[in-house]
Amino acid sequence: MKKHIKKIVFGLILVLIAVQFVPVSYNQSETVLDSDFLKTYQVPEQIENILKTSCYDCHSNNTNYPWYGKIQPGAWFMENHIQEGKSELNFNEWANYSDRRKKSKLKSIISQIKNDKMPIFSYTLIHRNAKLSEKEKITITEWLLKLRDSLN
Amino acid sequence: MRKIKLSLGILATVVAILTAVSCKDVKKEHNNEDGHHSEMSSEGNHMEMNSESEEHHHEDGNHDHDEGATTNVREIEASTQKNGATSEIIDSYLLIKNGLVNDDDVAATKGGKALLAAFSGFDMSQLREAQHKEYMEISESAKEHAEHIVKSPLEHQREHFESLSTDVSDLVALLGTDKTLYQDYCPMVKASWLSETKDIKNPFYGSKMLTCGTIKKQIN
Repeated sequence: MKKHIKKIVFGLILVLIAVQFVPVSYNQSETVLDSDFLKTYQVPEQIENILKTSCYDCHSNNTNYPWYGKIQPGAWFMENHIQEGKSELNFNEWANYSDRRKKSKLKSIISQIKNDKMPIFSYTLIHRNAKLSEKEKITITEWLLKLRDSLN
Repeated sequence: MRKIKLSLGILATVVAILTAVSCKDVKKEHNNEDGHHSEMSSEGNHMEMNSESEEHHHEDGNHDHDEGATTNVREIEASTQKNGATSEIIDSYLLIKNGLVNDDDVAATKGGKALLAAFSGFDMSQLREAQHKEYMEISESAKEHAEHIVKSPLEHQREHFESLSTDVSDLVALLGTDKTLYQDYCPMVKASWLSETKDIKNPFYGSKMLTCGTIKKQIN
């Protein structure tokens, strides 16, 4: 019995080591595009900080990777999250969205924040500082709402 | 020794959980696996860059148009151009609408799929030059909402239906329709929707507030 457990644990460790060699593409970019949200509008510092801390990791071309982001299987998990996040909304490409899409994106962002759907739970679980306080939620949704109305 | 075993056990459990959690993602990963090397991803980035600059170009080229196109919500005229080309899009939109009226997310999903098909089957060659850019923007946005409607639960479908309604209304204003439609307004969500029936049946709330709303306009 003891031998079996040893074998299983040993096997698991081997698998864990083996998967480290599977290549992952990291979401990292030094250049910030001119189409970036923060370059498109005059964004107050407080809002900028919230966006960068709580949103940009998955919704821009540059992720600030935590240690486990470089280790499998965490890296896979994150890669998929980021891919999906960016396809829904990429703040780096904001200016390239049509006005119509900007408005609908802003509407979705506001509703996702209000309903605590974003930042996503699996992210705030580990990135405690990315979690938005009630006050921060009000600050950012009110600002985004003003921005949305100004686009009409 | 016991301690080591215990910690190994914990490690194994953690790994098992992580693997299970990322299982869905891993599956997706497998689908892409043949091309999944760093070259592939850089190629992907290039493509992204290309479409970006194209879009830019497009926007720049039509700068004069922009001014006119930024007006709030385009008003639908009571008697629009009689255009049958938009029928399939409108019919699919109404399928979603009726699904939501009946609190039926499966029906709404079907409508979403039909709408995606209707947009990809739309014959753009009949568009006039001046309509082209706005049509593209409407279609891009509407398809995005339709995709979300296809994969989301009822309440989230409703959120996207709100924006989709703006898109389809604008499409009717832009291209016209030969159908008789009613533009209804819901004061609770401050949004409009299109209906083929004179009776108010509110898709934003369904059975919770079925008859809430007013007719703003009859089209045709």
